[in-house]
Amino acid sequence: MKKSYYLFNPGKLSRKDSTLKFTPVDADGVVGNSRYLPIEGIKNLYVFGSLDANSALYNFLGRHHVPVHFFDYHEHYSGSFMPKEFLLAGKMQVAQTEYYLSDTRRLTLARLILLGAAHNMRKNLCYYQNRGKDLGDLIESFDRYQAEIVAMLAPDRSGSLVAALMGLEGNLRQTYYQAFDRIMPNSGFEFTTRSRRPPQNELNALISFGNMMAYTASLDQIYHTQLNPTISFLHEPGARRYSLALDLAEIFKPLLVDRLIFKLVNKRQIQAQDFDRSLRGFLLKEKARKVFVQEWDQRLRETIKHRVLNKQVSYGYLIRLECYKLAKHCLEIERYQPFKAWW
Amino acid sequence: MYVILVYDVSEKRVAKMLKLCRRYLNWIQNSVLEGELTQSGLRAMESEIKELIDPSTDSVIMFKSRDSRWLEKRIWGIEKGLTDVFL
Repeated sequence: MKKSYYLFNPGKLSRKDSTLKFTPVDADGVVGNSRYLPIEGIKNLYVFGSLDANSALYNFLGRHHVPVHFFDYHEHYSGSFMPKEFLLAGKMQVAQTEYYLSDTRRLTLARLILLGAAHNMRKNLCYYQNRGKDLGDLIESFDRYQAEIVAMLAPDRSGSLVAALMGLEGNLRQTYYQAFDRIMPNSGFEFTTRSRRPPQNELNALISFGNMMAYTASLDQIYHTQLNPTISFLHEPGARRYSLALDLAEIFKPLLVDRLIFKLVNKRQIQAQDFDRSLRGFLLKEKARKVFVQEWDQRLRETIKHRVLNKQVSYGYLIRLECYKLAKHCLEIERYQPFKAWW
Repeated sequence: MYVILVYDVSEKRVAKMLKLCRRYLNWIQNSVLEGELTQSGLRAMESEIKELIDPSTDSVIMFKSRDSRWLEKRIWGIEKGLTDVFL
């Protein structure tokens, strides 16, 4: 399986002998030992530090279909270098757009996506309920919300329904976030309320960072399918963002991001001193960021036995399978069933 | 598939061999590389190597393992090349 590479240290990346060469250069301009990265084994690059590169390199990366994701000093996702689409399929594009344009069809998909997300969030709550946290009331309200989502398929009330669905999503998340303080008691972290741009406390900084990783992971997988990443169903397709990646991330965030956060905090791998309190909000320090990304990488590579395919499948690949299912739904080959964690 | 590749080729081809292998694997020591490969990647590399070498004088040895976890790696002295994905 191809690997993701994470570039934390400043340096220069260049094309050399038809492969990649990374030369670390620190702030004082001291050049370290270069390392060659095998181009055939690279899935994508995540750039957290400052990077020197030229267009020859990007041409080369583009030819090998290697996307590069950039993050700014404040750990915000700043954008990606996406190689030219190579799996073009007009038929798929048209089908996907058709599904977006028809209110009822779009609603069906949006509803299913949200149901998948809700199910996975509920799974998390149940997991911790079984481990002695008192979350019964939250699980109950989750059941109510899920019933509400299921009931939302009234064909005559189209139009604003997707917006209503997004509203439900908001309620769902709010209930869900109430569980955070109970799952991670005495951790030194308090959730209080969700805040973004910038996150106003440590936990919010972790969530933002994790969500961003989920977003880029989804984007990577969409790139390897024929779906168009800008046409989404649950989120409103806007300008300048890959909103289909947001849809997909929604389903996998509880499983990938939240569980990782609970683990890192409860095992004290990340603590209060791992954050910088800058003028505007909180951010993860370099060391904690590495811990997070390392664990994240491991989690994406972790495999489970897939029930339908009957073989070992990594968490990362689950996202790809989700794309295939969406594509099949749009092409009317098979009805979409959202991924629901079964363990 | 986790692979360790060792080569001993004529001086004329040493540089070419290194360049070729570095595209697929991580360099860890002179004439030694290791890394993860897919089936197709492995086949592509194999055919390129066969093109390059002269079977009457050169020697290339490959150790294959299903996964790096079935491999215990010990190092004495300096570790020359790293294989991890965090730079």
